[in-house]
Amino acid sequence: MAFVFETSVFWDTFPMLMRGLKLTVQIAVGGLFFGFILGSLAGLMKLARSLVVRKLAGVYVEAIRGTPMLVQAMFLYYGVPMAVGVRISPITAGIIIIAVNSGAYIAEIVRGAVQSINPGQVEAGRSIGLTRTQTMLYVVWPQALKRMIPPLGNQFIISLKDTSLLMVIGVGELMRTGQEITSVNFRAFEVYLAVACVYLVMTLSIAQGMKMLEKKLNTSRR
Amino acid sequence: MINIKNLHKNFGDLKVIKGIDLHVKSGEVVCIIGPSGSGKSTVLRCINKLEVPSSGSIAVDGHDIMDKQTNINEVRAEAGMVFQQFNLFPHMSILENVTLGPIKVRNMSKTDADELGVKLLEKVGLKDKAENYPDQLSGGQKQRVAIARSLALQPKVILFDEPTSALDPELVGEVLDVMQKLAKEGMTMVVVTHEMGFAKEVADRVIFIDEGVIQEEGAPDNFFSNPKNPRLKDFLGKVVSHL
Ligand SMILES: Nc1ncnc2c1ncn2[C@@H]1O[C@H](COP(=O)(O)OP(=O)(O)OP(=O)(O)O)[C@@H](O)[C@H]1O
Ligand SMILES: [Mg+2]
Repeated sequence: MAFVFETSVFWDTFPMLMRGLKLTVQIAVGGLFFGFILGSLAGLMKLARSLVVRKLAGVYVEAIRGTPMLVQAMFLYYGVPMAVGVRISPITAGIIIIAVNSGAYIAEIVRGAVQSINPGQVEAGRSIGLTRTQTMLYVVWPQALKRMIPPLGNQFIISLKDTSLLMVIGVGELMRTGQEITSVNFRAFEVYLAVACVYLVMTLSIAQGMKMLEKKLNTSRR
Repeated sequence: MINIKNLHKNFGDLKVIKGIDLHVKSGEVVCIIGPSGSGKSTVLRCINKLEVPSSGSIAVDGHDIMDKQTNINEVRAEAGMVFQQFNLFPHMSILENVTLGPIKVRNMSKTDADELGVKLLEKVGLKDKAENYPDQLSGGQKQRVAIARSLALQPKVILFDEPTSALDPELVGEVLDVMQKLAKEGMTMVVVTHEMGFAKEVADRVIFIDEGVIQEEGAPDNFFSNPKNPRLKDFLGKVVSHL
């Protein structure tokens, strides 16, 4: 029996994916929001004067980057509740995992961007009497932020795709929704093609958005 | 205004400053000359503690910078610094470059700071560039903005580290003019420079540093016409032959 592409199944999949898509977006946005805060913190900690603080951030970054996200997800969702005795919802767990995971990569992005700023900028800031914190806040950070845009865009795309791994802890996101649909209609080709299309549209939009943001920052504020 | 006693500075095993005493009076203009790598920048950067002295003492307007009780940020606001590479903040407009210090360090309102900023930009001849960004300016203009930026803190002294060395020759004059104007107004200045003409004309005192110590110092006329130290003679010979 030859394979026939069922166009109607393909198109009908999209509306059914909407609920999963909403969850994927929620988790990605929430996870990356907190991931950026966590990553900025860890990235700046890696540049701290105190060795202890630097090491602390280092351990976090290495531990996360050195282990698969799938393991992190299983550990946080199934493992940690056994130890501390509180259950969290799959969605909350999903946001935490994306935040903790992306935070480690974002830390390196932040550290690199801050270090790439000419030391003369810090000296100029300090020489007019700004404190270390003020110099970071008003002089270094805004410039570093601009340099972070391309690698951050990259990380946003990676993390968005990584949300699909959260299906293993029962988050009804896009990927899991697709899987549920195929378990009913057995049309894996059409359904996963549709799922892939939805991811692609989102990742391309992020890439495009970042490009536009970069352009805008380059033409107006220098 | 500045009182340096027996300053030493090492970078690891490298002894860069080996016992320098320097007293700069209020309103005085002191030029520091010397060969590359002799430690001129290091002395200057010790004064506002961008480099931490290895030993010795430095007082700026009576504040001992080595004292833990001294708020170094206050001292730095009193002792402005102008860098060879300008180090303007590229993400801020010219006016914002000048007003950042008054607003954040002196807690001035934005309105007052803007007023002060425009006044200072006018003083350095760049009022019409207030809304521009640093990369739209020539080197000479950038350095004049940098001077306005340090003036905005109403400092008691300004430290210049080769302010014209990164400039195309035709842009040197406009920066030196501004500096000369400041000197005439009575600003205390310490200027590391290779501009012997400026040192001769504007300095009250010239200091020759080599190998981390002051080899000779004096009023400019005597200093240049009648140098005693053989190293200084040699140095001046080289500089003059370059001109
Ligand atoms: N942060 C540093 N770490 C290590 N060595 C340094 C540092 N800063 C300066 N030095 C060294 O100290 C010596 C004096 O440097 P300094 O910049 O004070 O010289 P300079 O007289 O200003 O020279 P130039 O005319 O080239 O600016 C040089 O040998 C330099 O390599
Ligand atoms: Mg120097």
